[in-house]
Amino acid sequence: MIAYFSNLATLVAIFGILAVTLNFMVGFAGIFSVAHAVFFGLGAYAGAQIALTVTPNPFLACAVAAGIAGVLSLCLALPALRVRGEYFVAASLGLQMVALTLFSEVKSLTGGIGGLTNIPRPQVFDVEVGVLPLALLALGVLLWAIHAMANGSFGRTLKAIRDAESAAEALGKPVAVAKALAVAFACAGAGVAGALFALHMSFVNVESFTLDQSVLVMAMVIVGGTGTLFGPLVGAVLLLSLPSALSFLTFIPPTEVGSVQQIIYGLAMTLLMVFRPAGLLGDQNKGKSHA
Amino acid sequence: MLFVQLLLGGVQNGALYALTAAGFALIFGATKVFHVAHGSAFTLAGYVFLYGWTHNWNSLLSCLAAVLVAVAFGVGMERLVYRPIQRHEGSFFTVFVAAFGVSIVVQNLVGVFAGRGFASIDTPLSNASEVLPELFLADVFWVAILVALVMFVALTLFLSRTNAGVALRALAQNPDLLRAYGLSSSRLSMLAFALGSALVAPAAILSAMTTGLNEAVGNHVMLLSMASTIVGGVGSLRGAALAGLLLGVAESVVLVFLETQWASAASFLVLFGFILFKPSGMFGAAVAK
Repeated sequence: MIAYFSNLATLVAIFGILAVTLNFMVGFAGIFSVAHAVFFGLGAYAGAQIALTVTPNPFLACAVAAGIAGVLSLCLALPALRVRGEYFVAASLGLQMVALTLFSEVKSLTGGIGGLTNIPRPQVFDVEVGVLPLALLALGVLLWAIHAMANGSFGRTLKAIRDAESAAEALGKPVAVAKALAVAFACAGAGVAGALFALHMSFVNVESFTLDQSVLVMAMVIVGGTGTLFGPLVGAVLLLSLPSALSFLTFIPPTEVGSVQQIIYGLAMTLLMVFRPAGLLGDQNKGKSHA
Repeated sequence: MLFVQLLLGGVQNGALYALTAAGFALIFGATKVFHVAHGSAFTLAGYVFLYGWTHNWNSLLSCLAAVLVAVAFGVGMERLVYRPIQRHEGSFFTVFVAAFGVSIVVQNLVGVFAGRGFASIDTPLSNASEVLPELFLADVFWVAILVALVMFVALTLFLSRTNAGVALRALAQNPDLLRAYGLSSSRLSMLAFALGSALVAPAAILSAMTTGLNEAVGNHVMLLSMASTIVGGVGSLRGAALAGLLLGVAESVVLVFLETQWASAASFLVLFGFILFKPSGMFGAAVAK
């Protein structure tokens, strides 16, 4: 039972990282990416390769994962600088589909559909450490960083760009740099989450990085409330405990549990958008006509 | 010969993509709603047709039921999801998430009730015969092209010759002026959704006869329609249809050089390139940032 809860807590922390970083992009910078799982995947493969070939030190794995995801976030930053709204969503969907094909086809780095197996447990100075404290540490640091940025000049610049890009530009705000930095920060965070995920599961394959996963993370952000600090965490807790809650409902045949879960996700997304578009923790009067 | 075979297969798929893309473009152009659940109308229409066919309904009745379900789904989305969101000034992203939620629900409901995995039907139309040495064509090829052409001619005539069609184009250009002239933009939006969704039904029926359907087929249809609308240029039905045809052909012809798994990546790479370098598409007006 303790193992079960520590596993669930680790997953909540990892998806919490994904959700708060995506929320930084969506809620503060107004960049609606549905490709967050791509950078999660990049981090996971990078972290797994480091642990497999270099050293099982989790800090190195996370640093390399963050670096790779951060640099490749240019793929997302470029369309974000060119277009807004529907076009950007379409571009990120395209990126997601292309990346998924690359993940399953570049077999030398990703192991293809079979994935990478036998990833060693994380070790610091030859002492084995659990992933849970690492994930909680990373989550705490990221939350603090986002809180600091949101109330600092960088966060204000981003919000200004989100609400009125031309006005922000006219006031001399570095629009392109701010957007690119926001995307790089969020994607690097997703990379860290990926590395921790790889170390935790000791197995990664392409199925964890699909469009469905991106949408799941998006749903966490939306359910909790975009633009709030803790909303995405609440969303992550709710959506991740849903499968275990459903397993208590014995009248659902086990083969259909996955579908029922998906139907609940989908319904929750639609109903929330129709009746409570700012999410559970969001301010219902603010933020109605973003972007 | 392999190349010609793939090319013709691509044209057949492309004709169907062109229909769904035109539906998406019609809805997006007239109502500015990014109808991500467009693929769900396709899935529903296809499965209703399959249901009718396997239960020995009259084939005309099955087709009619498919069209009706698609139209009902489109109009229902407009009334129950998009309209309430737009009433409290929801952003485009609110609309996107709500529609995505619906498409997840539809995909899983179809999976639960109709079973997962590929389902297709055999009709006399889908039996291929050798027309030239090493070149196989089924009658459904000609049906697909004929249906696509007829639908386009009908749609073009409707949009240019009838009052409702002209009003739809006016809605796309200037909704405020349209209302000032006393026309109802909400009824026209419903018309756009009805027409746009009806366009997917023939494509869904023909896909059921050729490549087959699965519960997730709507995702692919939605992504392709969206890609075609952007590549073709938003606001241009002809552009969307042409881009749909091109993406269908590209997806098929690329198999000469690459393996199957790369096919869809190739078309999304095209989309990505267009968004980066020419976001207005092939025939569209310039896009405001």
